[in-house]
This record gives sequence, structure tokens and C-alpha cells, in this order.
Amino acid sequence: MKIKVRYFARFRSIVGVSEEELEVPEGIRVVDLLEILKERHPELKNEVFAQNEDADVNVSKNGRYVSFDDHLSNGDVVALFPPVSGG
Amino acid sequence: MLSNKEIERYDRQIMIFGKEGQEKLKNSKVAVVGVGGLGSPVAYYLAAAGVNLLLIDEQTPELSNLNRQILHWEDDLGQNPKPLSAKWKLEHFNSDIIIETFVGRLTRENIDRILGGVDVIVDCLDNFETRYLLDEYAHKRGIPLIHAAVEGLYGQITTIIPGKTKSLREIFPNVQRKKEKFPILGATAGVLGALQVVEVIKLITGVGEPLANKLLIVDLASNAFEVIELR
Repeated sequence: MKIKVRYFARFRSIVGVSEEELEVPEGIRVVDLLEILKERHPELKNEVFAQNEDADVNVSKNGRYVSFDDHLSNGDVVALFPPVSGG
Repeated sequence: MLSNKEIERYDRQIMIFGKEGQEKLKNSKVAVVGVGGLGSPVAYYLAAAGVNLLLIDEQTPELSNLNRQILHWEDDLGQNPKPLSAKWKLEHFNSDIIIETFVGRLTRENIDRILGGVDVIVDCLDNFETRYLLDEYAHKRGIPLIHAAVEGLYGQITTIIPGKTKSLREIFPNVQRKKEKFPILGATAGVLGALQVVEVIKLITGVGEPLANKLLIVDLASNAFEVIELR
């Protein structure tokens, strides 16, 4: 199935594009997608971009906030954005 | 009651929310927690709008703050703690409003005493430890909390309404402690700070639709404004 991934803030600078379309296995979860993205863009491994509790990435699917366990479907648009803390 | 001078001063915004809205602003007290990059534009625009303020910060301005913390000037460096540095300027700017200050850090022990009686809390902090404390307090007392944070050309903002929206901790459960020094352009803090003020005004006057259960992310490098549903 095909999904679209959109990158925001520093993820966008790291990956070098604002969005990309990917062919991924049917029915994968958000956490599986993150693993695929780390393989595809090894620079993301240096970010805290993991499946454990230290994960430091927020994810939305089709404009709605989702958890890492959420399943993806064909045509979904997934956005990745980093929580920031500065003031 | 609004004085004639107030009716004239706030004329252009009374056109938006009426004299009743302006009365509500006049009768409200808003805590600005952190008087730095976000806190400067927040306190400035809230003062302009005629809102009474409680300014909270423990630090004194340093030279490297001035690219973004526009309420602090060269004369204040190493002199006036940030709440006091902001207070004297804002009092000259708008003598109608009452400005209270607390110079120090919010803790579990003092937060009840210091934030007692505020109508809205604006999170202009630079760390999540104190943010979680604000979040807990806001839920305990049922006070809305306007969260924003910035880095570089990027920022995020959402409005927490206890009982109605997710808590800040539910949205950002585990933000990593970053290095102390983060990149930031003053104008980025200006954009997010101005958005926080609009949230406060919407909540107090009842005009418009607050960012409740919505996270607005602003990526100024790529001209992206995205509203993400949090429900």
C-alpha cells in the first residue's frame, strides 16, 4: 500500500524533503513506519526517534494525533513533527 | 465600568468584542509564566489589550537574550530581574492595568499562593518540568493554560482547558531534556507569542474558537501552518 509522509521542522532539514510517498507493507503500525524511515534515512537514528518510551517524535495521521500503535491504511498521510521546549 | 479614556483607547478592539468584552478583559488577571522570548510579546500585547498581569520569572536579562526578549533593554542587563524589567515599561505603556510580579521559580510548594486568583495561565517557559507543574495546577484549579514552545523557525501552540481537552502531559508525555542553549529567532517567538495572546483574548471574551484539542504547528522555514486534531 502507499502512504505519504510529511516532515516538519528539524525532521525536514534532516531528511531533505518536505514529503515523500512510500510503498509499505499492508496494515503496518506507526511504530513500524518509524523503523522503515530510520532504515531509509539513517540520520534519523540520531534523533530520539525510537519505539521505546524515550521517543521524541509526534505523529499525526490524516490531520489527527495518533499513538505509535495506530495502524496505517492505503492513502494515509502521516506527519512527523518534533516537540520543542524553548521559550 | 470603562472610563471614557478606556473606551477611546480600546476603540478598535471594542469593534470586535464590544464593551462587554473589554470589561471582561479589564476584570481579568492573566499569569505570564516566563518573561523571555515568548513572555515578552505575550506581556506586551496583553498589556496593549488592557489585561491585568502577573509576571513570573527568576532570571535577570543577559546580552544574548536581547535578540528575542524584546521587553528587556540594554539598560536592564544584569540589573532588573525580568518581571521588574518588563513591569516598568508596561506601566508606562498602559497605566490602566495592574501589573503584579513574582521574581522566583514556581514550585509545588509556592504555586498555590502565587497563581491564586488568576483567570488564565500563559506558558512561556523554556522547560517541560515546570510546564508539567503548571499543567497539574491548571487541572487542580480548573484554569485554562495556553501552551506554546519554540525552537529555530518552528513552534507549537495549543490551549488546555481542564475537563474539556487533553492535558499537556497527555499530548507531550515525554519531552526530552535538550541542551540548555537552543537556536531561536526573535520573530519566531513573536509569532507564537502573538498567537498565545489571541488565545487568551478568545477565552476571556468568548469571541472565536480557541485551539482546544487542536495543536497548531508553525514551521516558518517552509511556510507551513498545520492544525492537528488532538481528540
